[in-house]
Amino acid sequence: MDYLKELAKYVKTQKQKIFDFDFLKNADKYEVWDEIDFNRESTSKITYEVTLEDLKSYAEGALDTNPLFVDEDYAKKSVYGEIISHPNFSIVILFWCLREGIGDWIRTPGSINPGHRWEFYEPFRVGDIIRVKTKPYDRWIKRGRHYLTYQMDFIDQNDRLKQRYWCTLILPKTRADVAKIMKGEHVIEA
Amino acid sequence: MKSKLSFESVSPNDKLPEVTRYITQEDIWRFAASSLDCNVVHVNPEWCKRTKVFGETTVMHGGLTSSLIMTVLINWAYPLGGKIAKLEIKLIKPVPPNSTLIFGGLVTEKHPIGKGEDFVVIELYGKNQDEEKIAIGKAEVMLP
Repeated sequence: MDYLKELAKYVKTQKQKIFDFDFLKNADKYEVWDEIDFNRESTSKITYEVTLEDLKSYAEGALDTNPLFVDEDYAKKSVYGEIISHPNFSIVILFWCLREGIGDWIRTPGSINPGHRWEFYEPFRVGDIIRVKTKPYDRWIKRGRHYLTYQMDFIDQNDRLKQRYWCTLILPKTRADVAKIMKGEHVIEA
Repeated sequence: MKSKLSFESVSPNDKLPEVTRYITQEDIWRFAASSLDCNVVHVNPEWCKRTKVFGETTVMHGGLTSSLIMTVLINWAYPLGGKIAKLEIKLIKPVPPNSTLIFGGLVTEKHPIGKGEDFVVIELYGKNQDEEKIAIGKAEVMLP
């Protein structure tokens, strides 16, 4: 089965049409656990301009078509006054903005998601232009597994902090481990 | 549960209405395209069969589990202007395709700080068709 062809059936938005869904392609170049520099804060060079189709597409994918996320007439009459983002919409911004370079470890094949933490300040709205500020937050070993947490701040065009997110993954420790995963070897215990 | 939600109307031990979803591989592909999270553990069944990271199957995104837990809070709090302020989720058990999932929550604390700052604490859960916990969480939700 060509999984990329399967994925292509669900592509709808302009951003999805130009996004490269093949996370294996440059996996040997992603940042790895033992090479993270904890003194390095960074702001994404790529920004994310929020569109109506982006907000609707995420809500549909998240199986939550609450009218606040997809129905413009309903949302206009609500306390929000317009369509707003599902609170987890920040994940889309993250994968859009951190596709190469600092933070691209979020794409690591075979990585495991143990859970996350968020602080929500403002929903994302159409027209927002968001950049992601990343800061290494913690790195630890537990039961032989290697955890990495970054603090991710989502900041809009007016320098307002919209959301703070602590993103954690269990990752291969070294670049050699990533190479083993690429060969199809079992490296991380679920 | 009282009919009109407000900080005054909510009490500890109030249950939030549950959200149930049946998840297929198609749902996982759709979420991958919409979230841009195309990690092979979610989208590539052949790779998963070969590497056996989660047995021989793909697994649903932790991001989708998190989103569905958020849906419990959204359905309950958003219609009257409630707002999720903080949320922490721990993912416990991987979810393969063709799983039925149930998400819910319980009010455990009430914090009367002052108008516009009052919040409640909700403990959240996700479980599968075998009643196994797949996720737990804790949220602070501000209510008018």
